[in-house]
Formats: sequence, structure tokens, C-alpha cells
Amino acid sequence: MVSRMKEKFVRSIFFLTAFFAVIVVAFILLFLLRDGYSIFETVGVLNFLFGTIWAPAQVVPSYGISALIIGTLLVTLGAMVFAVPLSIGCAIYISELASPRMKSILKPATELLAGIPSVVYGFFGMIVLSTFIRITFNIPSGQTWLAGSILLGIMALPTIISVSEDAISSVPREYREGSLATGATRWQTISRVIVPAALSGIAAAIILGIGRAIGETMAVIMVTGNTAIVPNPIWNVLSSVRTLTGTLGIETGDVAVGSEHYHALFGVAVVLLLITLIINLSAVAILSHLRDGRRAGRAKRSWLHIPAFSPIREKLLPYSRIVLLALITLMLFAIGLWEVALIIILAAAIWHYGRDRISRRHIEIFAFGCVIAATVAVLAILAIILGYIIINGLPAISWDFLTQGPTDLGRSGGIFPAIVGTLYLVAGAILIALPLGVGAAVYLVEYTREGRITKLIRTGVDLLNGTPSIVFGLFGFAFLVLFLDIGVCLLSGMITLALMVLPTVIRTTEESLKNIPQSLREGSLALGATQWQTIKNVVIPPAIPGIVTGAILSIGRAAGETAPIMFVAVVFSTRFLPTSLFQPVMALPYHLFILSTNVPGSSTNKYGTALVLLILVVAFYSVAIVIRNHYAKKARG
Amino acid sequence: MSDTTIISTRNLNLWYNEKHALQDISMEIEKKKTTALIGPSGCGKSTLLRCFNRMNDLINRVKITGELLLDREDMLSCDMDVVSLRKRVGMVFQRPNPFPKSIYENVAYGPRVHGTNDRKELDTIVEKSLKHAALWEEVRDRLDESALGLSGGQQQRLCIARTLAVEPEVILMDEPCSALDPIATAKIENLIEMLKEDYTVIIVTHNMQQAARVSDYTGFMYLGKLIEYDSTTKIFEHPKEDLTENYITGRFG
Repeated sequence: MVSRMKEKFVRSIFFLTAFFAVIVVAFILLFLLRDGYSIFETVGVLNFLFGTIWAPAQVVPSYGISALIIGTLLVTLGAMVFAVPLSIGCAIYISELASPRMKSILKPATELLAGIPSVVYGFFGMIVLSTFIRITFNIPSGQTWLAGSILLGIMALPTIISVSEDAISSVPREYREGSLATGATRWQTISRVIVPAALSGIAAAIILGIGRAIGETMAVIMVTGNTAIVPNPIWNVLSSVRTLTGTLGIETGDVAVGSEHYHALFGVAVVLLLITLIINLSAVAILSHLRDGRRAGRAKRSWLHIPAFSPIREKLLPYSRIVLLALITLMLFAIGLWEVALIIILAAAIWHYGRDRISRRHIEIFAFGCVIAATVAVLAILAIILGYIIINGLPAISWDFLTQGPTDLGRSGGIFPAIVGTLYLVAGAILIALPLGVGAAVYLVEYTREGRITKLIRTGVDLLNGTPSIVFGLFGFAFLVLFLDIGVCLLSGMITLALMVLPTVIRTTEESLKNIPQSLREGSLALGATQWQTIKNVVIPPAIPGIVTGAILSIGRAAGETAPIMFVAVVFSTRFLPTSLFQPVMALPYHLFILSTNVPGSSTNKYGTALVLLILVVAFYSVAIVIRNHYAKKARG
Repeated sequence: MSDTTIISTRNLNLWYNEKHALQDISMEIEKKKTTALIGPSGCGKSTLLRCFNRMNDLINRVKITGELLLDREDMLSCDMDVVSLRKRVGMVFQRPNPFPKSIYENVAYGPRVHGTNDRKELDTIVEKSLKHAALWEEVRDRLDESALGLSGGQQQRLCIARTLAVEPEVILMDEPCSALDPIATAKIENLIEMLKEDYTVIIVTHNMQQAARVSDYTGFMYLGKLIEYDSTTKIFEHPKEDLTENYITGRFG
């Protein structure tokens, strides 16, 4: 009897941890709406959305966000123009052409690209990329739409590469063999059978990449120039633009709480959240639909039915190649490589009129050349960013730099309090997120069948995962700092970061629990063990490497984030370490952000801070990747 | 090697990593006849079949030695264009594997990749191939529909039509009926009977009755070796080797 009670109790605890994600999403929506609602009332929804002038600081303030929405869309669109051809090329190379050894280098390399903190990207973009653009085009400032798009494109690469690589790799081997057996070349097989078969997965990858780009804040603030105007003419990539996220990042820190401007910012956050939620949910719907279809062997009909085959798509497919080519050409035009773009147009013309005369062997060589070039470009981007920061940052690193507090606004002195602050923040975040996340995953995998409740919880996790980091920042500010009156302090930062990394912990744990063979559970249950005993003794122990990997990835992610903590936990400069959870701290990413945007003449320390942050985050990622690969190998035997 | 031989092997050996999967295979395959390869699971019959159009190239760390000729041409030489080889030697797989395209596009796929883009020409090829594969009557009104909507047996005949569309000299069939029900199997067997007039067919099968029914020649393989290879009547009525007799009479395998 007692044990029955205990089982029930344990089960309900797990249920609560799992339901927590849903509660958080509800709270985020609730608090954003609570603070944003009044602007919709005073200004009017339509005026707010379609008003052209965003001027909250004027004597007669104006709150129209259409320029911000257009800015967000343009920057994202530009990012995709760069990212889509590169990532699809790279994904094709990794899944179809690379040798297993090459694969084992390329996959971690792209993951590393995902690990670089956005503020480091922003820093690089601000110093290298925008300078390059300023000089190349001979314009007064390189902080432009173009710079933002290139940078966001780079940041979206890893997402698109890994999801589409997954999609291409899971095209059944039979298709490949069937095509080759008719005498098709490898490239014909790839371009006519494999990529079309993986198209839905690739579409989902691109949508996820779009979601990543729209939600990004810090990098965008640092390179787009942040002028709330619509580019004139609309395709002028050298114009400065401002995004929704950028507006939140810049203005939330200075706004008077409770003012009309404050409410307007929350209104912006609501719009941003809705856009990203729609985008992420549609990507998730496509992917889960694909997964179900694969499992059941036959796709069931749903509102978002994407069949493996449709007559319309078959007719459209030839055009997709033309569109892709047009995108590449546009990209080259945009970055000023007129000559290359002209060559491509010329080549396309030759192709169109003379393709029957070019042997398919030559076409294959050319296509593989392009695919390899895309891969090399991705690797080169990684190498340039890492190399630049390492070379310029190393001279700044010294014992004093690592162990002293900052002086003269961070121009001299060290970054010790920032390092400690960041470590405190991530330690606290993971202490909160780990039990909640593991509990949720255990509930989802072990305690329930798939049903309405798990669907709700999973949707909650997906939504949380797609929420832009700046929105977490605003939520933390509105809920923790103001509503609960905890104040700007370490604890608020820990909780905010914990909420942000929660989906990562849940997902990785879920993955590793699912990999535990069912027979182990049955073996234990058949001996008369209770469910909880089985979970505790049989299921969790072999899943620990996976859980640890997830935790470390989360730590890495949390350590690099700026947007969620900048309104809730950090100060720019303090000589002292915090003595309680209720004091604010310094943090590396925020320190780097302020040094590079607000403190002129801090160049050595700037590079040093970037390097330390990069090393810290990359170290976490590398450890996680090594652990995962080690155990993945072991599992395969 | 006589004029009626299309494929011949001498001392063909194949290793997967360390595993010696084919050992000293020597055989000559007759033009426009049906040859069956039988033997217990894992005996190497599919591996041998996949040598004939070099599908084993797709697997890493495969080593092949010995001689393998297609119409007196060395199939294993580096000069051999694998792609055009596969045009001459088509293959039908164990599980029907139509592409996720329309019925029409599945059949037109081969001609298209070999450079035929003219719609009328393609229409003719598609109709001819589907007729040849005894599928035309069943699908003529729904050529634009998904190939994945066909039944298993229809899918397999579609795959045969897809192979016929490139007009190969040899058709390899890797247990083409093992995923099909008896009625669909009978249809495929009839089809093989008809194909013999124009094509050389090499079929791997688990089913000895099937080998006896459809083939002119039969090779019995065991543990990577070709134990006995002769006309089907001889193999089934007067096998020379005890091993063959034991297998055929069902004493093992």
C-alpha cells in the first residue's frame, strides 16, 4: 500500500516538472500581453502594426512598427540568400560525398559554429565585416542591412546544415541504388532523386534557420546601424535598418517602467514572439509529420499534409533550380562581386542552350565542385572568425587580466568579476534547469503514452525552444525583477537562463532515454520492480552520458547569452564579487557588448574578453561533443 | 568464351573488410537466357549479382580480384565507366523501390538522365516499357499519380519497366518476389519468361521452385563458393555434388 502511494507521488512530481514548460510559456505570453496590452488599446492594433514612424522619444511620440517589421523581414531574407545555398551545398557534401573521416571533422566543425556566442559574432561583424563593407562600397558606415544579413546568414548556417543533412541522410538507400542502377551519375541521383525526396526536411531546416535569424538580437544590434527606416529603394542593401529584436535590445534598458514607451516595447515583444512562434511551430509540424510518416510507413492526413510526392511539386521542381540560381546571383550582386555574378548568368545561358552538348561527366564535376566550394566556404568562415579573435585576443591575455577587476571603464584592468559572474550564472541556471528538464523528459518517455497531454507538453517545449532570447530577457524583467520584486540580481539571471536552456535539457535527455532498449525495462519490471525502481536503477544510469552532454551544451549556450540577462542580472562594472544571490553581477558577454559598443579605446581588453568568452563556450561545446561521440561509438559496439 | 556468352568471370574473389565473401567464382552466363543463383542465406549470391553492375562500389572497403568480363570488356578495369556499365546492366531490387515521383516520371527517369528530353519520345518509351512490363493496362489512366500508391506487385513491375526503359542488355534481379504475395509473384514470373526473348536475365532467388520454373541455367552457391553450375534440368534432376542435392531436397538451408 505504502509503495503504491509512493509510486503515485513520484509520478505526480514528474508530471509537474513536465508541465512546467507549459506553465512557463503561458506565463511568458501572459506577462508580455499584460504589459503590452495597453499600447494596443491607446494606439490601436492597426496603427501599431502598420504605422510607419517609430519615434518614442519625440515630444509627440509615435509608435508605428512597420519599419521594424520590414527591417526584420529584410535582414532575415538577406540572411537566407546567403545561408541557403551554402548550407544545402555543405549538407549535400557531408551526407553524400564526404568520407566517414571527413564527416567526423565536418559535423563537429558546424556544431562549433553553432556554439560561438552571438555577441562574439556581433563583435566580429562590427569590427571586421562592417569595416570591410564600408571600404568596399566606399560608404560612410558599414553598419548596414547587408552586414546584418551576412552575419545572420552565418549564424543560421549550422541549424540549416544539420537539419537538412539529417533529412538527406535519411532518404532510403533503395532510392539511391535504384537510380544508380539505371545508369544515372551520382550527381543525377542526388539532384533528381535524393534532394527532391528530402525536400520537406530541407524546407523545415530553412524555416528553423529563419526562426533563428528573426530571434537574434545582439549580433543584429551590433551591425545593422539600427535606424528605424525602410530602405530606399527597398532593395538598397547598403541602407541601415532596425529590427524588432534590435529595438527591444537597445531601448528596454533605458525606458521608464510603466510609461507608454515601456508598454510599446512589450507590444513589440508580443509581435516578435508571435512571428517566431508561428515560424517554429510550422517547422516542428513538418518535421514531426515526416518522422511519423517514416515510422508508420504511410503518412496520415493532417492539416499540414506534405506528401512525399505531389504532382504540383513535380511540375514546380525544375523551377526551384532556377530560383536557387537567381538567389546565388543576387547574393553575389549584393556583395559586389559583379564579375562572378555575370559569369554565372553567362554560364546559365550556356547551360540552357547547350546542355545536351555538355557531357554529364562534366556537369557532375562542376556540380561537385560547387558543393565542395560551399563546404570550404563554411569552414573558411569558421576559421576566419576563430583565427581573428584568437590572434588579436592572445596579446591581451595575462594573469592580471584574468584575476583583476576592471579599471577605467574596462579599458584597463582585468575581467575577473565577469568570469566569476558568468560561471555563477550558468551554474545556477543548470542547477535549476537540470532537475526540471530531466524530470520532464522522464515523464514524457517513461510515464505516459503519446496523447493529448504529451502533445501539449511537447508543444510547450517547442514553443519555449523557439522563443527569442530577448523575449526571455523581457519576461525576466517584467516577471522576476518587477512583479516578484526580486530586483536586478544574480538569482533573476539564473532563473531566466534556466528557462531558456530548459528545452535543450529536456530534448537531449529524452533522446538518451529513448535509446535505452525496451527489453531492459521489461526485464526489470518482470522481476517485480516498481516503475520508479526500474527508472532509478535501470533506465537512468545508462542514460547519464546523454544527460551530461545535454547539460554541458546548455551551460555553453547559457554562458554565451547576453540578451536574456542584460535587463535582469548584470551591471557593467563592479569591483566586487557578489556575496548573495540578490546582488547584480558582471558577465562576460555583456561586458564584451558594452566594451565594443559604448567604450571607445578599449581595444586590447575587448579582444581579450572576446577570446576568453569564446574559449569558455567552445570548451563546453567540445567537451559535450567528445562525450557524445565517445558514447555513441560505444553504443554501436 | 563462346559467342553466346555475355558475362564471364574467372577466379573472382571479393572481400568485405576481412570477410572473404566470394571465393574463386568462375562461370559463364549465356546471352538471352535466364540464369538463377540459388543457395542458403549469406552464401554470397546477392554479392555476386551486385558485382555484375558494380553496385558493390557503393560499399566502403570492398576489395575485388580476378576477372570479370561483359562482352569481352574488362568490367573491373579503372577505364570502365561504371555509369555506362549500369546502363547496359540494369537491376531490380528485393524490395520494390520506386522513386517518390509519378508513375510516368519513374519510367522516364532513366531516359531522362541519359539525355532524352523530348516529350514525345519519352511518351513512346514510357508506354513501350510499361507494356513490356505488363503494367500498361493497369496504370494507363493514372500515369500522373504517385508511384507509391501502387500495390507491391505493381511497384515491382514498375521498377522492371523503369529498368527496361534504358534498354539494358542484362537485367539483374535480386530476389524480386520475396516481398510479394503469390499472385504478384506469378505475374513477375510470367514477365521474366517473356523478357527472355530480348534480354539476358540473372535472378537471385531463395525459392527453388521459382528457380526451376523460370531459369535455363542454375548456379548453386554455398559459403561464398559456386558449388555447381549447369542447366537447370541437370541441377534439379541429376546434381553432381552431394551438397547441391542435399540443398535441393531440402535437407538443409
